[in-house]
Amino acid sequence: MKIFFILFLLLSSLYSHPHTFIDLYPTIKVKDDKTQSIHFKWVLDEMTSTILIMELDQDMDGTINEKENKNVQKNYFYIFENYSYYTHIIVDGKVLKSPKVKNFKASIENNRICYSFDMGGNYNIKNTIFEFGDTDFYVAMVLKDEFVKVDGATAITTGVDNDFYYGYRLELK
Amino acid sequence: MEFYAKALHILVGWQYELNRYISTTIRSLSDDSSLSTSLLVLGIAFTYGLIHAVGPGHGKALVALYFTSNKSDYKKAFKMGYMISVIHAISALIFTFGIFFILKTMFRQNFNELSDIAMQISAVMIILVGVYLIYEAYSGRKHKEKREKRSSKSEIAVAFSAGVVPCPGVMTIVLFCIALGQYTLGILAAVAMSIGMGLTISLAGIFSIALNKKAGSFLDDKGYILEILGASLVFILGLFLLLATLNVKMPN
Repeated sequence: MKIFFILFLLLSSLYSHPHTFIDLYPTIKVKDDKTQSIHFKWVLDEMTSTILIMELDQDMDGTINEKENKNVQKNYFYIFENYSYYTHIIVDGKVLKSPKVKNFKASIENNRICYSFDMGGNYNIKNTIFEFGDTDFYVAMVLKDEFVKVDGATAITTGVDNDFYYGYRLELK
Repeated sequence: MEFYAKALHILVGWQYELNRYISTTIRSLSDDSSLSTSLLVLGIAFTYGLIHAVGPGHGKALVALYFTSNKSDYKKAFKMGYMISVIHAISALIFTFGIFFILKTMFRQNFNELSDIAMQISAVMIILVGVYLIYEAYSGRKHKEKREKRSSKSEIAVAFSAGVVPCPGVMTIVLFCIALGQYTLGILAAVAMSIGMGLTISLAGIFSIALNKKAGSFLDDKGYILEILGASLVFILGLFLLLATLNVKMPN
């Protein structure tokens, strides 16, 4: 029992508790049981946003212009590719590798940094599940029912126990 | 594990709300610089620290394992938590102010690099503490009294190892205060949050001491086996952390 406790501590020690919170707003269009467009908007927590704004809004005009947007995409947003953008698309039980993103746009809304982007692909909603979460648990993704907009299907969101981090699952019916 | 996942989810939910609450309250200070609002911020920072440290982190593991390898009383666990709080607050403030005022730009990139270096220093120290504890447990295996008297050097080394890596959560609050021109509040909030975290880490130590007392009386004069085991796990913890920060891929 003690050994289990010690090993448990040892294993858990390698993971971090969340330091950044991201509200996730998915907007998905579905036609004939296939996704036509998948759009995500991340809204970072206010404290992280304030720190990031000092770096990202270089001309300090309260908006992210085209030049700043390119800098954000290249130096800040693409880093998330290593984490699959905290988005795990599971088709027939298998997680797709590195989903591609398009139309990235960073903005500042109510003192909060927002990242908007499309994640393309026509997925059959009958055998596809979307899961969200940071496996390192440095970032906590937050998906609430009211954040989800789905056109052409019904969205079902549930929490997912991933042992050392807590994620969310989005299914379309 | 289901219970752990549920507990984790609840803790994350609380942190999510506290994170929002603290940022809104600090921002409201720009309009209202009242003492009561400042005290409220410190109270939230302390609570945030308490809850934040309940989540997984190497500090608790180190302290718990240290007290597994070391017969102690509960006062020592609180002393350890206090030392970690002080070291942690100082480290977080040096990191934050250093990066912000000396390096001035690209906070996040610099933070990541410096954080890696701090983590490597911490990992090496944990390894050395592990080696020292193994040596002490082994050499004192026939002298129960000797095992029970440990130098305060190892305690300081453990506190330093656990506290030297600044928590990004503390640094975020400090930096947020700096961005809003609330420098003093930022420093006090870092201290309040570090005390909260230190208290939670103390509880991990107390839990470990309680288990050790039970197991120790069961094992009687073979208690050194447990101590060597705990010390070995401290060593392994340091090794894992070092490999993780050096980005060494583990075989699946």
